Amino acid sequence: MVDTQPIKILAVDDEKAIQRFLRTILESEGFAVQIVDSAAAAQVEAALFKPDLLLLDLGLPDMDGIDLLRLLREWLTVPIIVLSVREREDDKVLALDAGADDYLTKPFGIAELLARIRVALRRRVQAVEPVFTTGELAVDIATRNVTSSGAEVTLTPTEYELLRLLVLHAGKVVTHNMILSQVWGEAGSSQQQVLRVTISNLRYKIEPNPARPRYLVTEPGVGYKLRLVD
Amino acid sequence: MMTDSTGPERQVLRLLPIGEQLASLPGYVVGILFILAATVLCELLQPFLYPLNQLMIYLIVVVLAALNIGLKPTVMVVLLSAFLHNYLYMPPRFSVDLQHKEYLAISAGLLVAGCVISVLVASARNRAEALLVRESETSSLYGLSRDFVAATDRSAVISAVIANIETTLNSQAALFLEQDGRLELTETSSIFTPDKEQEQDAAWSFTNSRTLEHYRPFIGTFCCLPLQTATQKPGVLAVLLTSRSDCSPKQAWRLLKAFASQTALALERVELVRQAELAQTLRSRQRLERALLNSVSHDLRTPLSTITGVLSSILEEGERLSPSAHRELLENARDEADRLNRFVSKLLDMTRIESGAMNLRQEPCDLQDLIGCSLERVERQLLDREVLVTIPPDLPLVPLDMVLMLQVLVNLLDNANKYAPQGTPLEITASIDSGYLQLVVSDHGPGVPEGELEKIFEKFYRVPVPEGAEGTGLGLSICRGIVEAHGGRLRAENRVDSGLSVILCIPFSLNYPDEVAA
Repeated sequence: MVDTQPIKILAVDDEKAIQRFLRTILESEGFAVQIVDSAAAAQVEAALFKPDLLLLDLGLPDMDGIDLLRLLREWLTVPIIVLSVREREDDKVLALDAGADDYLTKPFGIAELLARIRVALRRRVQAVEPVFTTGELAVDIATRNVTSSGAEVTLTPTEYELLRLLVLHAGKVVTHNMILSQVWGEAGSSQQQVLRVTISNLRYKIEPNPARPRYLVTEPGVGYKLRLVD
Repeated sequence: MMTDSTGPERQVLRLLPIGEQLASLPGYVVGILFILAATVLCELLQPFLYPLNQLMIYLIVVVLAALNIGLKPTVMVVLLSAFLHNYLYMPPRFSVDLQHKEYLAISAGLLVAGCVISVLVASARNRAEALLVRESETSSLYGLSRDFVAATDRSAVISAVIANIETTLNSQAALFLEQDGRLELTETSSIFTPDKEQEQDAAWSFTNSRTLEHYRPFIGTFCCLPLQTATQKPGVLAVLLTSRSDCSPKQAWRLLKAFASQTALALERVELVRQAELAQTLRSRQRLERALLNSVSHDLRTPLSTITGVLSSILEEGERLSPSAHRELLENARDEADRLNRFVSKLLDMTRIESGAMNLRQEPCDLQDLIGCSLERVERQLLDREVLVTIPPDLPLVPLDMVLMLQVLVNLLDNANKYAPQGTPLEITASIDSGYLQLVVSDHGPGVPEGELEKIFEKFYRVPVPEGAEGTGLGLSICRGIVEAHGGRLRAENRVDSGLSVILCIPFSLNYPDEVAA
């Protein structure tokens, strides 16, 4: 965001109405926008246009969006936000596990879309900072120091690993599978229970009100997310 | 169906005459035994009786014989009695005396009396036997029709007729019924499988609508009777009358004909009942579909017309509108678009539930988390309304599909929020009791009339809402569908003081391995 070049967004969607709407909104927000309507064109433009962020619709005429997502993720590191009419949690998990950074169900409000774009771009920038902060919660990755509202918090190794994983993906939903394989190394059904308990314990330590979590939010059926609070 | 009546009917149908044991010996042997007995008695009484009186003993034997052993053995008994009496007791003993005419006359009388009694007894017995046969037939038919009355579907009729033939005729039966224009073997006795030839017999009988008998030595008679009513021709009743059958062929044939016509009628009856039921469900489905269509078109068109109205007025009158009016119109359109979106989601959910495409993903679920998530979802609608949450400490994780259960809670909270007057709190109470999770969402609203507590879970049933915040009429039926998919129950009851409680009960077992990571 430091240079004068506008941020480039590549949108992949074959609906003319959505294309028009996205172009109008995004350009008025000062983004450079390129819109393609097929998976084939998306692969070409992702290389040539060199976007900073990708908006991807899952229902494409020539390839399933999830497959395209996997193909792109083999070499593309920029944030990808999926826009889809598929509202089932299974589809969200599928997309997130395939490498999407976020998932937005159609129809969506423009404010929501812009907020998600901002979070995705912010994550891109923030990943280099050694101390992560959101609201009153601070996590120092280097020293393993965690403070909530200024007070130091003592975490068990598992709790810390879990929090660290969420911090690394802050603002992005981390799926159950991803958490289980990264923190516990396996994704058995008995681990699901352990995960719930660990989340609950972690909330009691870092949340002002564990019953109404502010930072560590649940995405039902999908996973958990560390919310970025300004 | 038949078990309680098999015993007596079988006995009746055996048609055994009185004096079963005697009758099983040949009549002649019995006759000789009678004569021997009479002779022994005469021998014992000889010192005390005149020869003429001894003849009375033989007369008694003749009468007994006539009553019991039929005409021809009786004639033998009479002749032997006359001879023995003459030979043994008429003086001079041990010689046949044909001189005494009166003795000859008495012997002749004896013969006539024996024959007359025998004939009379035989005809009386025939009448009794005929009556018994009639009665047994009647009771067999009665048994069958009673089973038919109890039979509510085709398969019950089929098994009733097979069972009745097995028990009353002691034979095996098979039922061929027409299905999709072809004659198919539908049911048989357990130990009977018709061979190719027998199937051909049945097919012939069916196409020609004629009965057929096919005798095969050592096997029995295979009979085919077409089933026919005035309007229908459902199939063929095939029976293998084995030698073990106790009825006379004539009787069996008569019974079979009656069975066949009764079966045809019963099959027709269940078919008509089925058609009537089908028509009934079709009618109620049509009614429901009409209601659904009305509702859907209303719910889709209303927001659409607002949106269209707003957009066209901005396009055409945009310049003349004040900024505040402009904004108000747009907000209105956006709210309606949201409403449209919610309605479409609910329709999709309902369709998923009704088509059984909702696959439950039950995972250990933290109830506090679940309730927290639901509160976050309704936060915007609730505004400043207070929600009192009661969760006992140490609540175990409960296996639930969190996404769907969240939808239930959000729906219930949303409903409660709509109906409860401003400023009153909502309440959520969770508890665990003997393998059941109970979640109660209560409000301090007006409640629901007692008679409508069940109706609110019906599709497209709407309770008028204050301030016109009308719902889709789908929310609660979706909730119920989800809860029932979990094996649970969802019901509503009015609170003692005013307000409504919606109570969710889901059974669960805590069979997780209880390992908890540090």
